[in-house]
Amino acid sequence: MKQTSATVASVAAPKVAAPGLRDEVPESPVSGVLRTLVLAVFLLYCLLPAMWIIAAMTKDNGQLFSTFGLWFASPLHLFENIVGLVTYQDGIFLRWFGNSLIYAGSITLGSTMICAMGGYAFSKYDFPAKQFLFNFILGTIMVPSTALVLPLFLMLNKVGLVNTMWGVILPSLVNPFGLYLMKTFWDSGLPTELIESSRLEGASEWQIFWRIGMPLMQTGLVTVALLCFVGAWNNFFLPLIVLNQDTLYPLTLGLNVWNSVSSNAGGKPLYNLIALGSLISVLPLLIAFIVLGKYWRGGLTAGATKG
Amino acid sequence: MRQHRKAALSFLAPFLIVFIAFYLAPVLYAVYLSFFVRKRAGIGPAKEVFGGLENYLRAVQDGDFLNGLKNMFLFGAGQIPVMLGLAIILALLLDQSRGLFMKVCRTSFFMPYGIPTAIGALVWGYLYSANLSPFNQILGALHWGRIDFLSAGMVLFSIANIVTWTWTGYNMITLFAALQGIPQELYEAARVDGATRWDIVRAIKIPLLMPTLKLLFIFSVIGTSQLFTEAFVLRPLGYVADNITPNLYLYLTAARDANYSYAGALAILLALLIFVISGPFLRRISSR
Repeated sequence: MKQTSATVASVAAPKVAAPGLRDEVPESPVSGVLRTLVLAVFLLYCLLPAMWIIAAMTKDNGQLFSTFGLWFASPLHLFENIVGLVTYQDGIFLRWFGNSLIYAGSITLGSTMICAMGGYAFSKYDFPAKQFLFNFILGTIMVPSTALVLPLFLMLNKVGLVNTMWGVILPSLVNPFGLYLMKTFWDSGLPTELIESSRLEGASEWQIFWRIGMPLMQTGLVTVALLCFVGAWNNFFLPLIVLNQDTLYPLTLGLNVWNSVSSNAGGKPLYNLIALGSLISVLPLLIAFIVLGKYWRGGLTAGATKG
Repeated sequence: MRQHRKAALSFLAPFLIVFIAFYLAPVLYAVYLSFFVRKRAGIGPAKEVFGGLENYLRAVQDGDFLNGLKNMFLFGAGQIPVMLGLAIILALLLDQSRGLFMKVCRTSFFMPYGIPTAIGALVWGYLYSANLSPFNQILGALHWGRIDFLSAGMVLFSIANIVTWTWTGYNMITLFAALQGIPQELYEAARVDGATRWDIVRAIKIPLLMPTLKLLFIFSVIGTSQLFTEAFVLRPLGYVADNITPNLYLYLTAARDANYSYAGALAILLALLIFVISGPFLRRISSR
């Protein structure tokens, strides 16, 4: 399911309170235990697939079918699986990983920059039909991806971009929600008086944007970049349509091709490699979440109002 | 302001260029295509000829498309309330908690959102699959039979579970952030009035969550209408009907049957339907 992360910006959070309980009303011990219990059950549910992956990546294909899925089995085959993953089909998995990095990296950089500039225009300038244009762009979030990508394929085909990296990168630069988010960050993060006074001092519009505006936008830029990165790393439908050469696949598509091959009658089962590959494919996101968690939470709680 | 129009345009230009080239143009192209039908004259190859609204007339009578829409509505009516209900409960519970356990929960609940849908669906597919499923291993060990999670009757529920797993935490975090933004004074006033915890939840927290909840609801509706990846990924593993969601049917119409004009008409109908449902909400939000 594709869901836009629009809610991040719309959370009305005038002031982020200090952590901890604020509505101190005494709680009965029973309800405390019940609360912990409910949270623990949902925690298990969230971690269940992770448990399966971690167990599966240490098994060979035979063990996958013959031993309990949510626990380890001896002997461990983790090392063989790692070797298998990086050598199977001449190490195409590493290539997919590299491709995903190229796609996500370039889309994140390009899209964040485009949104920062566009959001600045919507936030700091007046021009005809501004509100209409903004609402129109935002409204396009509702267009189903199939409506977009299928005709896009025909158009890319005509200009020779099908089966190229550009065919995946260029269309992914469009990010209406990133534009919306950047606008709200500019609205609150850069006071109009600062622009006015810089103009009086003779700064050009570009100088104001780069030298005065952008340094104030760090939180906004990282938040939008993080959203772009998650979206680009998770991209599946566009590469599925645009690419048919497996050396250009991102991880998501590559692993699913392995799954289709494994599930075909007579196909070589690769489930152990897919499990290990899946874990590796989510690592960059986990690292991004942990390293940039501060920005992430900042974007969720204060993004709309504080910048 | 007038003298700055040029600067405004130059800031806006990169976004507008990619937006027009890779967003607007394809949609308009789909509209254009949707007015053509493939006709076979004699024994020659089929040709695309102008057919007016023929594709649209076919679409509204197309049992496969209508079945996809029916599933979409069933899915929305069943899965969205469960997901948002869970998200509210978890957000309220987390709002009452503190310490390490609360932090672990907050991060872990949110984690599935960061996992690529195609990967999450793949792993759930293995948890469901006839030969690998640990659930069936447990049921088998207890001699309670087995459940075929990927059978025609179950697969919609299995997809709903994947979507719930992926998005509940995201919705919860957003609601949690809204709860954390409630001004302290409201709680103090409630305490002075002798309110119980339940009073506070009912009279303060839930009403103040409503704007965020409405927004989450409408984005869930849009998400439901775009359901594709989970169904596509599960296809090799079990029985997933071609018409299970409108988007899968659309994809197969274009990618397998190469009928882009009919797929275009289906896509436009779907977009219009979503627009009618969610447009009023979105307008209110963007004008805020």
